[in-house]
Amino acid sequence: MRGKAVALAIVILAGSLAAQSKSVQGKYVPPRTPDGQPDLEGVWTNVTITPLERPANLAGKEFFTPAEARQYEKDTVERNNADRRDGGAQADLSRAYNDAWYDRGTKVVETLRTSLVIDPPDGKIPRKGDRPAGPPPGFGRPPEGPEDRSLPERCILWPTAGPPMMPSFYNNNYQIVQGPGYVVILVEMIHDARIIPVDTQNAPRPHVDPKIREWLGDSRGHWEGNTLVVETTNFNDKTRFQRASQNMHLVERFTRTAPDTITYEFTVDDPSAFSRPWTAQIPMQRTEGPIIEYACNEGNYAMEGMLAGARADEKKAAGR
Amino acid sequence: MVASAKEQSKMRNKLVLALGAASLLIAAAPVWAHHAFAAEFDAQKPVKLKGTVVKVEFINPHSWIHMDVKDADGKVTRWMVEGGSPNALFRRGVNKDALPQGTEISVDGYQAKDGSNRANGRDITFADGKKLFVGGSNPDEQPNAK
Repeated sequence: MRGKAVALAIVILAGSLAAQSKSVQGKYVPPRTPDGQPDLEGVWTNVTITPLERPANLAGKEFFTPAEARQYEKDTVERNNADRRDGGAQADLSRAYNDAWYDRGTKVVETLRTSLVIDPPDGKIPRKGDRPAGPPPGFGRPPEGPEDRSLPERCILWPTAGPPMMPSFYNNNYQIVQGPGYVVILVEMIHDARIIPVDTQNAPRPHVDPKIREWLGDSRGHWEGNTLVVETTNFNDKTRFQRASQNMHLVERFTRTAPDTITYEFTVDDPSAFSRPWTAQIPMQRTEGPIIEYACNEGNYAMEGMLAGARADEKKAAGR
Repeated sequence: MVASAKEQSKMRNKLVLALGAASLLIAAAPVWAHHAFAAEFDAQKPVKLKGTVVKVEFINPHSWIHMDVKDADGKVTRWMVEGGSPNALFRRGVNKDALPQGTEISVDGYQAKDGSNRANGRDITFADGKKLFVGGSNPDEQPNAK
């Protein structure tokens, strides 16, 4: 019974993946690296203001018209603008600093899709039950030490840095380097370099033992035509992408669809968190390099400030 | 360490109060995926600082501007002002030279919760009233894409 369900899930997953790769392959023939791989090398950005999930007010609408897209861009940029000072002190403080420091993008994706999620067709992540999309449990409690603060604040991992890789409010830059048998993706946000062994589809290097869990998971790649397919398992139980468990199974597809574009798609499967696999598509545009160093711990004065803030709160609460 | 019953009860009260304060904080904060400025600075302590740049640390995850602020009696206090990740600024062509030592600036922000001389640089303006950096809020201009 369970075997059947798993087989069915695999068929559904394989079917939806096949459909997607066909949709993005197109006619463009990418150049080759010296050792004959389709060339994905360079510095790329996935910056966009297209939301991951389709907002409620756009339900049933898969694509913007160009005019709607411009209006959405205008409204979103206005809402995101950190230079505004309305909403009271708490909102003002949460905007942190003026807009110059941010780089959230100002455009929706070129396809004019209204969500990065392209499957299911409603543009929503098929969460099971009432799993909230928000912060992990415990976030925001008064920290006793750095371990009580979130992973990005501890300079460990940014929740959108991946895998899978999604846009955030700045540093949305990635460098891809290819060599025989490996692809490396350097992520600007926080610091990680993901090293992906790449083999032929029929003879991949096996994943590490299931007992070994990794911050970035364990990635294995192969080429399907001009598409680099990367499969990642062995996540740990702390990253919890979109509240998935450590058993999340991730398939990413990188297809160079134009000289300056990689169409990046990822499919997430985790039956404990989602009622079915779901897929997002994010174009990555070539951008100016280099990737800038993000030596996070060295300059993380904010950690000291947050812990001092918690102690100050306690003193205030105790009336001292 | 052995705590007396009285101390234990005091600690418990402290914890309950602290948790209460934290839940208020979460309710009030409009975004969560942030470098927790609400955990570091106090929305009840707005500050306006006027002074001169001592040095700028363009470091990740967040940059820091050190400045000297002179009060009415001429007493000088050193402040540290937190800004964003410098990478976005570098891409806009802004570097350390944008804020040389001695530059007069005004900072509008919120002071650290623990009362130390730190603040977030909510808005930073030059003496002539110009904003220190110009944001990328024009939809027709996407500085990062080629």
